[in-house]
Amino acid sequence: MQSAATADVRTGTEDVLAVKALVKRYGDQTVVDGVSFHIRAGEIYGLLGPNGAGKTTIISMVAGLIPSDAGSVNILGEAMIPSSTGPKGHLGLVPQELAIYPDLTARENLRFFGSLQGLRRKELRARTDEVLELIGLADRASEQTKKFSGGMKRRLNIGIGLLHRPTLLILDEPTVGVDPQSRNSILESVERLGTEGMAVLYTTHYMEEAERLCDRISIIDEGQVQAEGTRDELIRLTGGVDRIDLRGSGNTSAAAAGLKKVPGVQRIDGGGGGLILTVLDGPSLLPAIVTGAGSAGMALTSVKITRPDLESVFLHLTGKALRD
Amino acid sequence: MTVIMAIAGVEVRRFLRDRSNIFFVFVFPLLLILLLGSQFGANSGQARVSVAGNAGTELVKSITGQLQADGLRVTHDSPATVREQLSRGRTDVGIFISDGAAAAFEAGDPADLEVVASSHSGAQAALQLVRASVQTVSTQQRQLAVLQNAGIDADTAAAALRQAKEHLDLPQVEIVDTNDVSQDFRSLGQFDLGAAQQLLLFVFLSSLTGAATLIQGRRFGVIARVLAAPVSTGQAIAGQALGRFGIAVVQGGYIMLGTAVLFGVDWGNPLLSGLVLVLFCAVAAAAAMVIGSVMDNDAAGSGLGVGLGLVLAGLGGSMVPPEFFSGAMQSASRITPHRWAYDAFATIQRHDGSLLDILPQLGMLAAMAGTLLVLGAFLLRRSLGRAL
Repeated sequence: MQSAATADVRTGTEDVLAVKALVKRYGDQTVVDGVSFHIRAGEIYGLLGPNGAGKTTIISMVAGLIPSDAGSVNILGEAMIPSSTGPKGHLGLVPQELAIYPDLTARENLRFFGSLQGLRRKELRARTDEVLELIGLADRASEQTKKFSGGMKRRLNIGIGLLHRPTLLILDEPTVGVDPQSRNSILESVERLGTEGMAVLYTTHYMEEAERLCDRISIIDEGQVQAEGTRDELIRLTGGVDRIDLRGSGNTSAAAAGLKKVPGVQRIDGGGGGLILTVLDGPSLLPAIVTGAGSAGMALTSVKITRPDLESVFLHLTGKALRD
Repeated sequence: MTVIMAIAGVEVRRFLRDRSNIFFVFVFPLLLILLLGSQFGANSGQARVSVAGNAGTELVKSITGQLQADGLRVTHDSPATVREQLSRGRTDVGIFISDGAAAAFEAGDPADLEVVASSHSGAQAALQLVRASVQTVSTQQRQLAVLQNAGIDADTAAAALRQAKEHLDLPQVEIVDTNDVSQDFRSLGQFDLGAAQQLLLFVFLSSLTGAATLIQGRRFGVIARVLAAPVSTGQAIAGQALGRFGIAVVQGGYIMLGTAVLFGVDWGNPLLSGLVLVLFCAVAAAAAMVIGSVMDNDAAGSGLGVGLGLVLAGLGGSMVPPEFFSGAMQSASRITPHRWAYDAFATIQRHDGSLLDILPQLGMLAAMAGTLLVLGAFLLRRSLGRAL
């Protein structure tokens, strides 16, 4: 594993979840191989990897659904094993499948799973109503969920995980198969949970979701953590250079000569009535570059910054595309 | 316990949401018990006689009374209807009494009756019974005529004949069956045996089809979600089993009560019969959990449940009474919970058995239920590691 972290992000705060050297084998095949990570309160932690990378198996072990062959999972300091019920009270699981009863109503589903989490009577009623409002299904609460759209089912699936206000919320590919509007609504909800102090473990194979939501990300492939860190830290693994395309008219040669002197500009290529600059941290250099080009006599018509993304990181680390 | 009740409650609610369950669990079993009892139950061979003639005449009244006294089932219809019933096999024997015959009978003269037997095989036996009844009426009429010819008035003669019958100690014939099996079934009513057999068959069958709901729960990811909550595998399987158990007990209790009220089935001591039912339902529910944990496809699980339910019912004596089984089959039938429950019901229904008498059967059923529940919990935990 390549560690992108420049410093230990833990600052003495107790980990909500600590996973150490987790291993899972099925026969001769090792599907999870020495995975370690930790999550603090208010942190959204992403497991990013293609389908079959081992993300769901990791989550199943974290949730105590299957035993690990080696390693440990601790939730708020309590060891999680399948037979232990104590730490399970701290976590909310939103599985990839729509884990709801289609022949029960939305309210009945919420009340059932809430009762399993120890919510009773008034508290259960109140939380059910709150969650129905939160997920936008209050007006459809008495309908059997088999009549719901895919997006509505997904929202209910997430609502069930939130019902008992868990300390750690595990979301396994929660946006698979949903329309863009519902997807955006789900992502906004997850962002809000993080700001409210909930620790979130989020698995996805959508690079954009990991980039938008996650404070830290583990890139998983073939059961192993390939790299871990913040988005920017991971991107630096690829060299961390941005590309700036300058289009316009006028004296491009003079502009190129002037821009070479701007600190952070590594390379300038010309062509097609414009310049292509390879720079470190494009957004922060942009004002100096625009000013430099203008003062050298180049009249700009367009400026485009292309930043490396997690897709590039995955490609760089594994030699294959994220969605293979 | 709250968790177990919550899981069980959801199972019952889901069961009740499916309207087709109501028919197969509550209506169909009673229909089958009615059908089987009518066709094969004790007293189902009662001969049917249809009489066509003026019901107000003395001859029709005498013949009808005698036929009924001899144990035949008598109906009255028009001649055309009786002929139709005969041709369609809906009655065994038709008796056509003309007004002339009725008048001759009242005058003390010989009366001719038209008696027609249906073409089906049982009709000839019924015809013999009808002949005997008619002969009895004829003899009584002749006795009356003799007395009247001796100068006694009709009312006095009839009274004298009645008095003579009361004082006459006629020889009685009691048929004693030397066959143990026949002796065992003697005390059973028309629907008693079929009701016990069908109760066991349907309760087990309904419960096993519940395995599909557990498989669906696993497929939906609901079981995984339940087990990610502070719920142990034992609680999860106990809740699922309790739901199916509750449905089975309600179904079994309904069949017991329904057959007792509608068909007069004698279930013996209701507390003991209820205890047998409860333990049998526990075995059925636990067996459903084992199937639901082993199988990964709900359609296949339902199919296996129905198949296994029918095979076990057949082997356990819910189709043919196990008393008719060969020695090897008798031994094999004891691997089924049906056989143990059947024996317990037989002891209670036929021999007024006590709790002590059925203790071995109850013990075996309890052991089966416990073993299957533990096995179900183990298999359910293992099933979570399999991809569905």
